[in-house]
Amino acid sequence: MLQALANGLMLGGLYACIAVGFSLVWGVLNIINMMYGSLIIFAGYITYFIWYGTKLTPIVLLLPVTIAMFVFGYLLQYLVINRVVKRPVLTTLTLTFGLDMILYNFMNSFFEATPRRISLNWGSFTIADIVLPIDRLVAMALAFILTFLLYLLLRASKVGRAIVAVRMDRDAASLMGIQIPQIYAITFGLGAAMAGACGVLFAVAFPVTTNISGLLLGKAFVICVIGGLGSVPGALIGGLALGLIESFGSHWFGPQNAITIGFVLMLILLMVRPTGLLGVKGYE
Amino acid sequence: MNKSITAFLVVFISLAAMPFIADNYFVKLATFIAMYSALALSWNFIGGFTGYPSFATAAFIGLGSYAGAILQNAGINLIIAWVLASIITIIFAAFLGFAILRVKGHYFAVGSIAVVELLRLITSSWSSFTGGGDGLNVKIMEGGPDFAGRVFLYAMLAVMLLAFLTTLWVDRSKFGFGLKAIKQNEDAADMVGINVTVYKIAAFSLSAVFCGTVGAIYASWIGYIAPVDAFSIITTLKVPVMVLLGGEGTVFGPVLGALVFVLLEESVWAHFLEANQAILGLVIVFLIFFLPGGILKINYRKLLAKIQGVKGA
Amino acid sequence: MNKLFLKTFSVVAILFATNVIYAQEKIKIGAPLALTGGLADEGKKQQIAYDMWLKKVNAAGGIQVGNKKMKVELITYDYQTDEKRAQSLAEKLITQDKVSFLTSPFGSGHTKVVAGVAERYGIPVVAPVASSESVFNQGYKNLFGTLAANSGIVSNMVTLFTKQYPQTKKIAILGREDVFPKAMAAEMKIYAEKAGLEIVFNELYPVGTLDHAASLSKIKAAKPDWIYVSGYTQDLVLARKQMSDLGVNAPIITMITGPAYKEFTDALGPLAEGISSATWWHHSLTYKSKDVFGSTTDFYKEFVAANKSDPDYVHASSAAALIALQMAIEKAGSIDKDKVREQLANLDVLTFYGPIKFGSNGMNQSRDLPIIQVQKGKVVVLYPDVIKQGTLQLVK
Repeated sequence: MLQALANGLMLGGLYACIAVGFSLVWGVLNIINMMYGSLIIFAGYITYFIWYGTKLTPIVLLLPVTIAMFVFGYLLQYLVINRVVKRPVLTTLTLTFGLDMILYNFMNSFFEATPRRISLNWGSFTIADIVLPIDRLVAMALAFILTFLLYLLLRASKVGRAIVAVRMDRDAASLMGIQIPQIYAITFGLGAAMAGACGVLFAVAFPVTTNISGLLLGKAFVICVIGGLGSVPGALIGGLALGLIESFGSHWFGPQNAITIGFVLMLILLMVRPTGLLGVKGYE
Repeated sequence: MNKSITAFLVVFISLAAMPFIADNYFVKLATFIAMYSALALSWNFIGGFTGYPSFATAAFIGLGSYAGAILQNAGINLIIAWVLASIITIIFAAFLGFAILRVKGHYFAVGSIAVVELLRLITSSWSSFTGGGDGLNVKIMEGGPDFAGRVFLYAMLAVMLLAFLTTLWVDRSKFGFGLKAIKQNEDAADMVGINVTVYKIAAFSLSAVFCGTVGAIYASWIGYIAPVDAFSIITTLKVPVMVLLGGEGTVFGPVLGALVFVLLEESVWAHFLEANQAILGLVIVFLIFFLPGGILKINYRKLLAKIQGVKGA
Repeated sequence: MNKLFLKTFSVVAILFATNVIYAQEKIKIGAPLALTGGLADEGKKQQIAYDMWLKKVNAAGGIQVGNKKMKVELITYDYQTDEKRAQSLAEKLITQDKVSFLTSPFGSGHTKVVAGVAERYGIPVVAPVASSESVFNQGYKNLFGTLAANSGIVSNMVTLFTKQYPQTKKIAILGREDVFPKAMAAEMKIYAEKAGLEIVFNELYPVGTLDHAASLSKIKAAKPDWIYVSGYTQDLVLARKQMSDLGVNAPIITMITGPAYKEFTDALGPLAEGISSATWWHHSLTYKSKDVFGSTTDFYKEFVAANKSDPDYVHASSAAALIALQMAIEKAGSIDKDKVREQLANLDVLTFYGPIKFGSNGMNQSRDLPIIQVQKGKVVVLYPDVIKQGTLQLVK
């Protein structure tokens, strides 16, 4: 039982990391970024290949990959997505879906779908009968730290506060002199950066393959609905919740049904409390 | 309006004539066009007229496929199985609609995608009933490929025709007017006295029924269905793209979009083995940027004026 | 609007027309393959093997049909791991490209779809990578699979392992909810029960599971002597890694079909040590045959020279499928579908891949399929005795 709890928390930390960037983009720009899963995997592949070539510990790569992804996201938003930001969800979703297909195809052609695993073999340590794999523990810890950093950024920095202002009321923010396209680009870049960081952490603990990019996106959806959109603590709670649900669900109902339970919960929440546990109203 | 009907008839008759002018490959292509037209027209009810971006199309197709396959395997006659599958689908859609039409925009979109995944997971786990990951086999129709080809072509065409007629009716009726009002401003429509909830559920159900029929026919056609293909996220994303391509909210748009999309796909991936998905993605991107209203809504006058302006200057 | 429509249609119609014309002096074989999408890696393996066979055959002037030789043309399309496309392409190959024979793609599900189309048209189809009974129980007369049935693998394994280590009493089974892995898990349950083993865990995990921790924790608590997992490479790699992380161990660990693939051993490195499995073919086999390759060793050498890596059963079976077709054509002395189909049904030959004799349901008859284990980083054959290289080692 306690093992299930530990498993759930570790998974949850990673899940939270997955969802945070997604939630931010959705909450602030009102865009569902269908590329998100592929961005994570993309970062994962880059991490893998650099590790393969240089044997550098992936943790070291966290910073450079994240920055690279930020730039990528920023440009993508500024040049491409910005033009459709005001359009209805159908348009933006379809656009990001189309972009996702391009990225996905690119990865498949150049990286191939064979699962790539970074063999770190850090082992695990045991406390009172509960086994905690070190790489997952590290991934979870880093995920928390990053999420916390993002939270600080949003709260304490000028840019961060501008982002929050835009999320709350775009027109008012604009009147106050905030450059909306700039903020949008930064936000999207941040989202991509988080995806990048998540990709690096993911590569530490899981084999990387394009086959699961859709799955990761699905998890992001569920977490955002459970935890609430546009809120960093929300994504964190949502991620932990999903991790725990899947872990316990698997323990009690069998692995087959664990994922189903997550989705059922999501649908119920959509009906009853769409803004999630900690979400902010106003984005539909 | 009459232009739409004429255009539709042109397409319809060309497709129906396929067995007499070309070989089985073209008959199959025509069948796919008819199938996607029916799906696109269905989506138009909830997505085009009512403005609720539904991604639940695959859920209904998959449900229809499984319902049809299970019924057929239980010995029920082909056509009756198809009809029953459609009924099951519409009932499901009504309940589902009641649940998720309470939310709008993004939440609705996400919820509808979730339904597809959920049904896939349930189908996959419930192996005693659905065969789970193994999939279900459906007996292949006797009579040889030419005969079977025609049967399924005309079946799909029938659904396409039904969907189109329904679209025509909805477009001109009070019901359709109500839907368009909801799309414009749901609260205002509510205040004017339109029973918004009932209208939405009705539109959603309409968007489901033909998908169910298509699914059931498809299962009989291919002879084998499995969860991942029956509840395909790619299909559920393609259908709205087709409608966007043709012109959402119009009567003929979905059919045009389906036609152009399928033909484009055919000619593209036949020639670019490794990059076809990327090219499809590029097509979508192009569509969003340059054809925001779809082909039918290209403002020719503006375009013409621009060209003339350039020439003049 | 009408102009645009007409334009689009005519452009596309022209594109179609250009596809249609082909000369008839070649033997046309259709090959729908997954070159992109989830099964792309497997599809590419098939393509490599097909090309190897094709080169050799055409270099020798072609296949002997009666009293003349005919070259072979292999028409390949990418169906993108999409079931609808698989069906559509199979039909296109038959009606448009006018192929006389078909090969089927990787995996039971899509093979079924292609076989369905072929059956309608009466076109013989050789299936190199489908081994589940459910693919072959449809009564199709045109489907011939070179992989032997799943059950053959499991029964021998159970017998061998329990004989060598009679203290093996409890087994845990974890399978993927997907045609082939599920069948493998089910087979193990049957044979384990027959051998008197106690099944302490038996569950299926859904396609796309990212985390096996819960199942593995339960398995750990059950303290089995034998852990048996089925799935595709990424599932198995993840499961093995998590087993290591969570401290889940057993003297015997079997993963189907993990070690049969180089990707598995590459990804796991030292963690792959001791993992046992079975495969339909291993390159250390020593068949000598009258086919274009001549012997297993020759096939292996040629493959390594061209690709700088070892071939696995997917490669071998794919080449063998085409060899079977070739031999049937030669025996029939014609490329008439019915004659070739008859010869395929009666085929009883030895190839570099092993014996090929199709049973009444179209499957290659079961025989002693190699059981393997990773020992000191290399894949070692444990069974059958004729090619045995080592004995089962317990996992430390």
